[in-house]
Amino acid sequence: MHPLSRRSTELGLVIMAATITAAAYTLALLGKKSTIPPIIVPFFVALLGLLLLAHLATRLLARGADSTLLPLAAMLHGIGYVMIARLNDRLAALQTTWTFVAIAAYIATLLVVQRAPDLARYKWTFFILGAGLLLLPLVPGVGRSVGGARIWVNLGPINFQPGEFAKILLALFFAGYLYERRELIAASTWHLGPLRLPEPRYFFPIVLAWGFAVIVMVGEKDLGTSLLFFTLFVVMLWVATERATFLVLGLVLFGGAAYMSFRMFHHVRDRVDIWLDPWSRYQGKGYQIVQGIFAIGDGGLGGTGLGQGRPDLVPAVQNDFIFAAIAEELGLFGATAVLISFLLIVGAGLRIAVRAERPFEKLLATGLTALLGVQAFIIIGGVIRVVPLTGIALPFVSYGGSSLVANYVLLALLMRVSDSTSRRIGELPDDPTINERFLAWKLRRQLRKQTKRTGATTAGPTDVSSDDTVLVTGHVRSVE
Amino acid sequence: MNTQIRHLAAGLLVCYLVLFVQLNLLQVVKRDRIASNTNNTRAVLRDFDKPRGPIVTADGVTIAMSEPTDPTIDKTFKYQRKYPTGELFANVSGYYTYAFGATKIEKKYTDVLAGRTSEQQLRSIASIFSNQDSTGSVQLTMRADLQQVARDALGANEGSVVVLDPRTGAVLAMWSYPSYDPNLVAVHNNKQANDVIQFLNALPGKPTLANAYQERYMPGSTFKVITAGIALENGLIDFSSTWANETSYTPPQTTNPIGNYHGELCGGDLREVFRRSCNTVFARTAVAVGADKMVAGTAAWGVGEKIPFDLPGGAVSNFGTVAELKDAIPKLAIRGFGQDDDLMVPLHMAMVAATVANGGVMMQPYVVAATLDHDGKVLNQTTPQVWKTPISPTTAVKLTDLMIGVVQNGTAKCCLQLANGIQAAAKTGTAQLNAQGQPQRSHAWIIAFAPADQPQYAVAVMFKGVNADISASTGGRLAGPVAKTILDWALAHPLGERK
Repeated sequence: MHPLSRRSTELGLVIMAATITAAAYTLALLGKKSTIPPIIVPFFVALLGLLLLAHLATRLLARGADSTLLPLAAMLHGIGYVMIARLNDRLAALQTTWTFVAIAAYIATLLVVQRAPDLARYKWTFFILGAGLLLLPLVPGVGRSVGGARIWVNLGPINFQPGEFAKILLALFFAGYLYERRELIAASTWHLGPLRLPEPRYFFPIVLAWGFAVIVMVGEKDLGTSLLFFTLFVVMLWVATERATFLVLGLVLFGGAAYMSFRMFHHVRDRVDIWLDPWSRYQGKGYQIVQGIFAIGDGGLGGTGLGQGRPDLVPAVQNDFIFAAIAEELGLFGATAVLISFLLIVGAGLRIAVRAERPFEKLLATGLTALLGVQAFIIIGGVIRVVPLTGIALPFVSYGGSSLVANYVLLALLMRVSDSTSRRIGELPDDPTINERFLAWKLRRQLRKQTKRTGATTAGPTDVSSDDTVLVTGHVRSVE
Repeated sequence: MNTQIRHLAAGLLVCYLVLFVQLNLLQVVKRDRIASNTNNTRAVLRDFDKPRGPIVTADGVTIAMSEPTDPTIDKTFKYQRKYPTGELFANVSGYYTYAFGATKIEKKYTDVLAGRTSEQQLRSIASIFSNQDSTGSVQLTMRADLQQVARDALGANEGSVVVLDPRTGAVLAMWSYPSYDPNLVAVHNNKQANDVIQFLNALPGKPTLANAYQERYMPGSTFKVITAGIALENGLIDFSSTWANETSYTPPQTTNPIGNYHGELCGGDLREVFRRSCNTVFARTAVAVGADKMVAGTAAWGVGEKIPFDLPGGAVSNFGTVAELKDAIPKLAIRGFGQDDDLMVPLHMAMVAATVANGGVMMQPYVVAATLDHDGKVLNQTTPQVWKTPISPTTAVKLTDLMIGVVQNGTAKCCLQLANGIQAAAKTGTAQLNAQGQPQRSHAWIIAFAPADQPQYAVAVMFKGVNADISASTGGRLAGPVAKTILDWALAHPLGERK
């Protein structure tokens, strides 16, 4: 596909996603009230407008980026929104607000991050921010426990789940850290019995990451986020070092921590017990998952139809259990569509990673994609009893501002890497960014002043004004 | 690094495949098992958010229906089940609740009413886009007008009335007192429904149990129809048989004599002993027939077997087993005239009268004439079926003769002279419940049919012996007038001549 036709493809797909969402919205309201509400027209206009805005921003700021990511996200977001609107009017209004914020965050990220490799420079900033956010819920007076997990933060009027943002920051940090040290870590010159391990000082951050995962698991009782972080780290370490030892080591470390916590903490044991046999715990802690299974089973092949089922019987169905509601009302077909959407996102994300030439971008795209893919797997698998249930949001679909905004930022970063690659491999001319044009202009002016003042007539300034791009690019992009 | 990234992609693909497989298991393979989990209320909930078809009587009165709820008042479900006739048909329609399930017709015909039978589903496929509901309706054989007459005639007395068409077995009226208002149970507030059910179950009269077909009582002398029938069939007695006058009979193996009513001297030919209802004679007859043939004979009348009725939860009548009675001649003797553990369901006694009326053929009783789909097309029509043929037509004629004698000159003479000179045939009964030394308590019975020469209605009336008030009278004096009222009214108001 010609890189420039990508945006046209995206436009078509985005319009399709908007149309499907609007149709589903109409059906859901019909199923509930059996009249087509007049709100449907402004709804469709606003929805399409918002998505077109995101599309236009992409066209302007990342025109070489992958064409399927934004429509896929819009599709999932749309299905999730329809479900939330069908469940609860008040939450739908809030989710509408979050949708605006999320699209704004997407555009802002594309605007702010114009050169993906620049991010590598701020890896320690990201680490401090990410770790801080991750541990923020543990701070007394700020953190808040909801439903057993201490993953919320109360800062004045703002409530949010910092973990959702922390995961991106930590992916950025890991990518920045590992692309620098990957060879040193992979070298593994430290012999410990039969094991060949990296030098302790390179190995230390791995233990640190593991420590964080354990702290999150124990302190915040948030198994899902803990599992997600550790998976992210292990996967990135493995991809960076190209050594399966780290995968095995990671699994062993996590397995050990999981087993210890299973033995030590009753809430972990509860989760496993419920997973193995929710039926006998129907009156207690198994109620939610059993109701979820009932909902999914009730959906059958074609589902009950939007607005025709009773997803409201499942506790917290708009958050962790939204997949059960989708499986109930849209059936196996709809639920499979969601699975395939995530799979396509994973595919697109990893294709970006494979195509990327710079190790940092490769690692970043891998990490971000793994985050989305693994997070969706953990929560869907929890709902349908493939793995023990751990409360975590289904990306783009679940109700919740933190998750939605964070995932759109994540999406924008993936788009940025994708765009950056297509410029790097010469599919598109590597135009200067707005920031770079500004710097070039400043530099030209400075040089002109200098020329006037000295009255010198060397060849330099003339060259600059005729071919500033080369020079400026050389100045600004000194990172690699 | 690309190798690892590709491996990662493959790994995630496998993860999602596992999800897909599990989703298929839940939504396709194990779907029915999940749906049938006892905690799974989704099918019921769905039914409560959908309309449900009505139950309608033969004379066109709706006894159960669904009404859309006002969403501003009742947010629980979209429809509310209503029972416009209140108590009148409670023991036939049953109730339909979310938390406590359904009973009677609401239970047995729930698929038809909800539109869930495969035939209804198939028929509604054609109208899938016209948004038509696929609910069905249940058409009863029962008449609301006759049911009301039966209710008024029995009044505030615990007991029951059953009216059958002897030719088909169709139940025309079936009233049990006490009854209850199913509207109070079918409320959407589970707590309230639970309170009502608890209250009803705690009442001594058990209003939720239809004593017309869910309870069994000592039939007293009405059982002599069966005993006489068995003896006639076996050729042990006939119109020429005579019995010496006696006040009591002491069967073998005991010193306790069996006495006649009020200690009367009783005897004579068959017509005489039947119209006067001599206990001594029928005790002797039962003993003469013997345990084997009495048990076999009563079994031929369906005693001891579940009545094939289309309402669930019916009781089973009892006479006893050969093993139980073979060496217990006193028991056999007193069960021969409807005492002791001889227990009959009132519906069954109406069927006994109907069998005599129908030339010896006992029809299966039924209350549902037909089930209809939403367009009124018949889904299933009940065709009358023979259940038992306990006696020959000749015996039936002889029993009719005997039962006419009861009305003309016997225990029902007082109370069963029908209007317009129509001849009824009947047998009364008073089943003594009290043991020696206790205050007298008796069930008062009558079974009857009319017109005797061309029977259209068979009826069983039973007053439950709840206190000493019933003790003094024989069944004829108490139950007779109720039967007369019902038969008179039914004969004057055939179903075809609706206003």
